[in-house]
Amino acid sequence: MTFARDSYRTVVVGGGIVGLFTAYHLARSGGGPVLVVDRGFLSGGASGRNGGGVRQQWETRGTVRLARESVEAYRRFGREFGYNIWFRQTGYLFLAENDAELDRLRTVHNLVASEGLASKVLDAAGVARLVDGIAPGAAVGGTYLESDGTLYPFPVVWGVYEAARSLGVEVLFGVEAKGVEIRNGRVAGLLTSRGAVATTTVINAAGGWSGEFSRAAGLEVPNVATRHEILATESVKPFLDPMVVRVSDGLYFSQSMRGEVIGGIALPHRPGTSLGTGSSPAFLSAMARALVGLLPRLGALGVLRAWSGNYDDTPDGFPVIGEDPRLPGFVHGNGFGGHGFMLAPATARRIALAAMGEPTDLDPAQFSPERFRAPAATRTAERLQLG
Amino acid sequence: MGESDRHFSFRGRPRVARNGETILETLARDRPPLLRRSILYHRPQGAFCGIGHCAGCLVRVNGRPNVRACRHVPDDGDFVTTENAWPSPTWDLFGAIGVLRPNGIDTLRGLRRPAGATRLYQRIVRRFAGTGEPPTEPGARAISAPALERTVDVAIVGAGPAGRAAAAAVVAAGRRPIVLERQLRPPPVDGAEWFPATTAVFLPPPSGAGDHPFTLLAFGEPARGVRVHATAVILATGGYDASLLFRGNDRPGVLSAEAALSLSAPPRRPPFERAVVVGGGARTAEVLARCADAVEAVIAPGEIRPEVVRAAAEADISLYPRSLLLRAEGGHRVRAVRIRARSGGAETRIACDAVVLAHRRVPHTQLLFQAGAAMEWRPDVGAYFPRVGASGATSVPGLFVAGSTSGVGESEREDHSSRVAAAALLGTGTDEIPGPLPSHGPPTELIAYYRELLRVPGHGRAVACPCVDVLFSEVEEAVRSGYRGIEVVKRYSSLGTGICQGRYCLPDALLLLSILEDRPPEQVGYITQRPPVVPTPLAAFAGLPPPAEGVARP
Repeated sequence: MTFARDSYRTVVVGGGIVGLFTAYHLARSGGGPVLVVDRGFLSGGASGRNGGGVRQQWETRGTVRLARESVEAYRRFGREFGYNIWFRQTGYLFLAENDAELDRLRTVHNLVASEGLASKVLDAAGVARLVDGIAPGAAVGGTYLESDGTLYPFPVVWGVYEAARSLGVEVLFGVEAKGVEIRNGRVAGLLTSRGAVATTTVINAAGGWSGEFSRAAGLEVPNVATRHEILATESVKPFLDPMVVRVSDGLYFSQSMRGEVIGGIALPHRPGTSLGTGSSPAFLSAMARALVGLLPRLGALGVLRAWSGNYDDTPDGFPVIGEDPRLPGFVHGNGFGGHGFMLAPATARRIALAAMGEPTDLDPAQFSPERFRAPAATRTAERLQLG
Repeated sequence: MGESDRHFSFRGRPRVARNGETILETLARDRPPLLRRSILYHRPQGAFCGIGHCAGCLVRVNGRPNVRACRHVPDDGDFVTTENAWPSPTWDLFGAIGVLRPNGIDTLRGLRRPAGATRLYQRIVRRFAGTGEPPTEPGARAISAPALERTVDVAIVGAGPAGRAAAAAVVAAGRRPIVLERQLRPPPVDGAEWFPATTAVFLPPPSGAGDHPFTLLAFGEPARGVRVHATAVILATGGYDASLLFRGNDRPGVLSAEAALSLSAPPRRPPFERAVVVGGGARTAEVLARCADAVEAVIAPGEIRPEVVRAAAEADISLYPRSLLLRAEGGHRVRAVRIRARSGGAETRIACDAVVLAHRRVPHTQLLFQAGAAMEWRPDVGAYFPRVGASGATSVPGLFVAGSTSGVGESEREDHSSRVAAAALLGTGTDEIPGPLPSHGPPTELIAYYRELLRVPGHGRAVACPCVDVLFSEVEEAVRSGYRGIEVVKRYSSLGTGICQGRYCLPDALLLLSILEDRPPEQVGYITQRPPVVPTPLAAFAGLPPPAEGVARP
């Protein structure tokens, strides 16, 4: 028998950080019994393959607020979940290469500062003080928010996984969701590679696979999976505190607690065709050129390994949260565009509320599944989809 | 070879490298140097592998950190220092950490309280992490070089006997293959475009388009890139000597058979006087053939083969078949090992000054994994091998395997390599469907061996992963907490995430986890092999010509 029960109140598809956090909140607020199914293994998706960045600098107020709430949650994480996630609040530094980019960052700064966060606009000298060894002329300035930071993703996963399980959540790996059973126009069950299970609520938190799963449930969605590559170098003693992100090409990198430089770059990826965890020579050379161009000393540092993870992108760059009006009982918690780890603590609570049929404080024009029906020209979009 | 002497400095003292010697060979001429402390607990740690993979001989050269002394042939004026120890690897004040916390520091659950101390803990821990100081800009510029670009019918990786035979066959057919060999001083391959001291680090799955679907990235020391576009690729990468789990397994003086053989290649004397050799098979016979005078005893997890028994008798070497290696004792150098018969009984102490691991060879399969070749678990060896057809074809069209990794016996290897070369040239073999591996022997003796070792009190203090300083007890703790499978346990314990890229800990971890999880090793999982095959400087990748598609600049 694959499943411990015949039926569950809620089944979460995806055992990554969003799915596990959501299951945890559901179990805590009486939304159980909860089952989580995942096609792979614990931390085998993007939750185990990301760079660990957590930032609050965004272009919309709604996202800034979710991110700020997540930062608070990560600050408390060690006390609540028993794992040391090494959340290091040494800032995110966005780099501008010209005045137009700096103006764009200044707009972000104004919004972030208006939310009470201590964002700073830096000139070239200010940037050089934060990035020891930066090539002269590499940046005209940037913005910096010290309470942003980096964490070690794995213990976050272990902590939430164990907490959810201790609240009675059943988590099964190696079980692939194949579709939903629909009765009287609403969700009646989940079809999996190990058979069907009855439930009235299915939450799609499948990350890079969420578009595929929504479509398997008969729902046309704009989610697109893209593979993003990343690398880690050999470790050295600390020389860099902030996560550095360059606006022009999406280069991002930070130095982990263990001393490795970890980062990636916004290469063009063929969407939808490349789900996987492999690497490419094109990425390695583009990333190395960008990194060495910005910080020449890094040329002597060895690349230890390269891998990739899958982003779940939406056309406007915002996640999709809430019940799908076309299929009652089908709840979206996806479309995080590579920022699931940053936003999971705050959004998971709201996904759980939506799954229990309760209202959330999220702006439907920004986060709801039905927003894509409005003409694109009338909608806002997040363009700071970097790092 | 008549190369001129190179004068360099090591920790401020002048040294002379002769005949193209590496830093390690130069320093080991008197006795093996202590170059390094382990990353977290600052135990003295020795040069183990001798082939540029382990963390045991990392030094800093001209402002470049993490340089393997066993791979670096010094230039005149090179400035070589040690790292991660104060004031020196021999007398390191931080060694107190390992003494005060013999059971390790819990960085996963510990150091969380009080909340106000978070920043302080982070500063301290960050300072301790990291193997060396960051590189300097001149150090980086000195190794920067534009890469070479080559297009070829056949690229051959590895110039051991199998790779040479394959190359000779290609040359005999009137073609000029590219041959890449990682060793620093291999004899040249006639008729081939020859890249010695060059490591093939990345072979992605073929693009499937054009006449040259393979792209192979390789790098010469220290960072000269070669990008090869090939119609067919023959991998003849051979194998390496595996590690073994026992207490004190990363002490200075514990050597792979490879390191022992290369450091005692004539006219050099072995870097030990009375070694204990572990293993009872062909590899042990090789070690005895070269340095029997300097060997005290042979201990083997299983039986000892007759040719080893004969060689040992001639040199008056004691034999301990079917024995557990419990512990290596010593401080800056191994002084003794403690062993016990497999079935039980009293411990025996054997005084020695080195432990040479010659008990098991596993194949270099990184490039096969990268290229997406179908792999299969061989229980008799305890490792993954590629599925290959009769002419060495893998499941990836155009990718061939020659030599020991293809599973052919030593006697037929030369013939086989020629067949592989012919198939690669003619594009035949591609319609050949590689079947399952032919004959599996019984499961590796090591599983039964480890099952006994895990019943010995104190085994948890053995170092499961020397690069990252993961104790075996931490691996057991992960399994006890309900985490299963190599991928998850690796993420939970950090095992296999260090500088050797898991080469030395993961093959044994598969066997050990199969015992702890009570299921066959192949169910414990696959070891995902990530590029590059060895750590490769960013300067080397930066020296590659830009790819055609470029980078998006929104």
